[in-house]
Amino acid sequence: MQEAYIVAGYRSAVTKAKKGGFRFVRPDDLAVDVINHLMNSVPSFDRSLVEDVIVGNAIPEAEQGMQIGRMISVRVMPQTTAGVTVNRYCASGVETIAMATAKIRAGMAECIIAGGVESMSLVPMVGYKPTLNYQVSVDNPDYYSAMGLTAEAVANQYKVSREDQDQFALNSHKKATAAIKAGHFKAGIAPVEVTEVFVNDAGKRQERSYTVDTDEGPRADTNLDSLSKLRPVFAAGGTVTAGNSSQTSDGAAFVLVCSERMVKEHKLTPIARMITCTTVGVEPRIMGIGPVAAIPKALKLAGLKLADINLIELNEAFASQSLAVIREAGLNPDVVNINGGAIALGHPLGCSGTKLTVQLLNDLKRTNSKYGMVTACVGGGQGVAGIYENLN
Amino acid sequence: MEAVLESKPKSNPATHKNRPVKKVAVLGSGVMGSRIACHFANIGCEVVLLDIVPGNLSDEEKKQKSARNRIVDGAFQATIKANPAALYDKAFASRVRTGNFSDDMGLIADADWVLEAVIENLAIKKQVFEQVEQHRRKGSIISSNTSGIPIQSMLEGRSDDFKKHFVGTHFFNPPRYLRLLEIIPTAETDPELVSFLMNFGSLQLGKTTVLCKDTPAFIANRIGVFSMMTIIGLQVEMGLSIEEIDALTGTISGRPKSATFRTADVVGLDTFIKVADNLYKDCPNDESRDAFAIPDFVRKMAENNWLGDKTGQGFYKKTKAADGSRQILALDLNTLEYRESTKPRFDAIKAAKPVDDLRKRLRVLHKAEDKAGEFYRQASYRISRYVSLRIPEIAEELYKIDDALRAGFAWEIGPFEAWDALGVRQTAEHMKAAGYAPAAWVEEMLAAGHESFYKLEGGKRLYYSIPDKAYKAVPGTEGFIILDNYRANSPVWSNSGATLHDIGDGVLCLEFHTKMNAMGSEIIEGLNKGISLAEQNYRGLVIGNDAPNFSAGANLMMMLMLAMEQEFDELNMAIKVFQDTVARARFSSVPVVAAPHGLTLGGGCELSMHADAVVAAAETYIGLVEVGAGLIPAGGGTKEFALRAADAYREGDVELNVLQEYLLNIAQAKVATSGYEAYNLGIFQHQRDRVVINQDRLIAEAKAEVLDLDRKGYVQPSRRSDVKVLGRTALGSFNVAIDSMKRANYISEHDALIAGKLAYVICGGDLSSPQQVSEQYLLDLEREAFLSLLGQKKTLERVQHILTTGRPLRN
Repeated sequence: MQEAYIVAGYRSAVTKAKKGGFRFVRPDDLAVDVINHLMNSVPSFDRSLVEDVIVGNAIPEAEQGMQIGRMISVRVMPQTTAGVTVNRYCASGVETIAMATAKIRAGMAECIIAGGVESMSLVPMVGYKPTLNYQVSVDNPDYYSAMGLTAEAVANQYKVSREDQDQFALNSHKKATAAIKAGHFKAGIAPVEVTEVFVNDAGKRQERSYTVDTDEGPRADTNLDSLSKLRPVFAAGGTVTAGNSSQTSDGAAFVLVCSERMVKEHKLTPIARMITCTTVGVEPRIMGIGPVAAIPKALKLAGLKLADINLIELNEAFASQSLAVIREAGLNPDVVNINGGAIALGHPLGCSGTKLTVQLLNDLKRTNSKYGMVTACVGGGQGVAGIYENLN
Repeated sequence: MEAVLESKPKSNPATHKNRPVKKVAVLGSGVMGSRIACHFANIGCEVVLLDIVPGNLSDEEKKQKSARNRIVDGAFQATIKANPAALYDKAFASRVRTGNFSDDMGLIADADWVLEAVIENLAIKKQVFEQVEQHRRKGSIISSNTSGIPIQSMLEGRSDDFKKHFVGTHFFNPPRYLRLLEIIPTAETDPELVSFLMNFGSLQLGKTTVLCKDTPAFIANRIGVFSMMTIIGLQVEMGLSIEEIDALTGTISGRPKSATFRTADVVGLDTFIKVADNLYKDCPNDESRDAFAIPDFVRKMAENNWLGDKTGQGFYKKTKAADGSRQILALDLNTLEYRESTKPRFDAIKAAKPVDDLRKRLRVLHKAEDKAGEFYRQASYRISRYVSLRIPEIAEELYKIDDALRAGFAWEIGPFEAWDALGVRQTAEHMKAAGYAPAAWVEEMLAAGHESFYKLEGGKRLYYSIPDKAYKAVPGTEGFIILDNYRANSPVWSNSGATLHDIGDGVLCLEFHTKMNAMGSEIIEGLNKGISLAEQNYRGLVIGNDAPNFSAGANLMMMLMLAMEQEFDELNMAIKVFQDTVARARFSSVPVVAAPHGLTLGGGCELSMHADAVVAAAETYIGLVEVGAGLIPAGGGTKEFALRAADAYREGDVELNVLQEYLLNIAQAKVATSGYEAYNLGIFQHQRDRVVINQDRLIAEAKAEVLDLDRKGYVQPSRRSDVKVLGRTALGSFNVAIDSMKRANYISEHDALIAGKLAYVICGGDLSSPQQVSEQYLLDLEREAFLSLLGQKKTLERVQHILTTGRPLRN
């Protein structure tokens, strides 16, 4: 068995769904731009060596349909490079890296691009035609639990107060704002040029171009007072608000994964490797608790202890589930989301796993740390945890 | 000027000059300006709304259009968000373009009508007109919405063309809802323009247009404020409390629900004082001038800034009691301190309350022996004398005063109409005895043997014309059909809840007249009778009435009683009869046109949806609200929405989303806030139904629709058996959504049960795959669901609660 290495990884900035810089940008176009940036970062590397492009996506229909993985690969790679779409909802972007790693380790491939993309601006969260199973709707309607309701259920079951959720959200914004100011994300972001064609106030066709290179979500001006005034949005008398939930976003992120042999042959510098990645099922009604089941299993597979993990990227789907996970899994809050999380920075579903990986690997390098973990809860009742080793 | 009105064309004869009103510029975006702009947008005009550039801009801001338009944009945005809505449909906001006086006056160059609504200050108005003069095109209309400044005084320095086209147009606040539009020409106004505006105001703007003289405060405010000041004067004389006054001067005596002091709180004491002060100043020769002198306690209130709702307290003050419950305090006029409000009791009111007919009720109130009776007599003597003496000062014709008070102050009947109800001769004698002798013309009228101010003749209402000393038809009402005027004729058919009138040209009109026009067996009998008679002997049927509301829905009392007695077979029969009757509106051999207005709920909505066409008032509040009573629409309403959804499906579309919109309309008991919004809810249909702005024309327009359908060769539609229902392909998603709503505590267990049944019916049941079904199949599902809900204790609790309190219960 040969090792699989991550040689490079980039993400787009993450923008606000329906109003941000990517609000009309097609996800396939966005993915093409990020992959081009990724490939240009290893200029000596011949694109024809890439065998497959594995694209995570949570709602693969409409602009994200037509097997978007192939639609991306055929545009950015020689036609011989294949493409596939993978959907494990919010774990999609870490699942694709796990698949690439496993394939290479198994000798089924030498070089794969793995990542994820999501336009929540263009494709609604449940898709355009949610057609739920009638029998399930009668027997187990909670299998189709809306995400916000699972967050409420977790808050109730694990007694996470509104105050704690709002405080957590505030911290996320503070950390993210500080990270942007300090330039911590710069190394990982692929700037994207956008051209917009529109009818201006004078009623005439107009074109304008701009570069998107900074995350739009963090609010430097938010405070506990304004967060505490927001109304619950998912349940009457609930505690989950727009302020302590992740933001809906657009974004793309990809990594280049190569075999040990290829790294040597092409004199590439590995930046990290994925040691292991696992997904575990939990009760759909409280899907947010998923990481509590996945983290110990991943640690066991990696042969590591929780204390060995230097940095953790915990996808902040909701403050309620993030806090419940931190408490129940016994995570050290100081190493979790040091640059803030999805509440401030946004959560482009199928992209998030890769996006968090890119951030984590840059942070491991910057802080000269060895082990890092990406973990997330997953719709339908799952938790994912992937463990990385920094090789920089 | 009278001659002008008389010669008003009935319907665009060749001699009538066309005056297109495509673009209207409203200058001044205050409460009136913004709302008037909205009303012109309501009727379809392109509107430009302008106001001043803010005075405090920084140098940077002075370059920004958004900052320069801050006043007008802020005011307009606040207006379109305000409740009750100024726009019939929020989407109409796009018809209004905002700008400022400094940059955008050029936009008035192609305006057909420039309407000034800036601050009530003659110097400022003159400045604005100076600018208007520079930019307007010749021949365009210019009008001022002043309520107090003499129109003539605004002409100084203006060109001849300006003067010729200048007129006062006084809207009442809120202009969408208050029906009055006073038109005040100057000596130089082109009579043709006045005639045009009288007609445009009525037909296009939907207003009761009243031609006024340029006298202080014109007609409505002069009389309305006099009435209010008289009531306050009597309050002091008789030592009545403000709650007592409001109890006496509310709906019991034909005045608005907000009566005297709650109205004052809403309008604002400052506005009221300003009008009264101006009247005192401007009417030195008014024999009752002293009535306009503001009493000390009112001045004191103004000094304390107790102006009403706008400052949080006025005659009343809303607070929270110690236990957190809402509490309304009332001002004690002796101590000028707020105290707990009390519920006044008067024998007169107790005796009058059961009397439905306002005119009979007034007679009861005025005869009463108690303090209340004395109040009514005193108030009516003083007000009657006053209005009689205002002729010819403010109007030659008495009907104008009644029109103005009804339309501008929401009085159910005007002062001369009330006087008629009490008996003109008898009241005049009492007035003389009490020292409030009426004007000489009243004596002359009576001496000539004319015993009333109005009378009915052949379906037309005539007024006593003082200059002619004879009865004449009210001009401008040719386009109205008022059912009240048909009462003198013998009806075609009648029972206790419904009457069939022959409204001419072979058209029948079915009028409902039950309490709230609730639909029970009498109305169902009337519908069947009307349709049968129309099929035999008439060209078609109008279903319409002049009551405040078209129909509040099915008669719940009957259903509750049958359900409590477990008479489910009988209930099933009753619902079947209702369904069949509603269906007859569509499948009869003659055109049936519904004319909804006001509240049109539940069964009233279902009936409208099944008519061949709807001619609705702009102020129609229509919806399927059955879930509030723990039920689902079962008079064809759920079926009809399933059918309309099916008709909207297009090959390749996601059908579930279309169906879901219709389902939500029922599940959330949505009620359209205007006739136009009813299109958005899928209740009205663009090809079939239309909206009439002026409610007085509603029945006449519905009749015209019947005749039009008849002329075009009406053939009844065939019954449908091709309604595509989605079965379990949609039901699964709906079930999960309902379960989520329940778990999120947005809906109760019982709400979820009702919603589940509704989803089942609208999906056509749990069919394995989408299928075409008949209307009858869906009607049977409706009825089954309705009956099963009536077997639920919680539904019966809801029905009972509505019957006893008039409000829905959430259980």
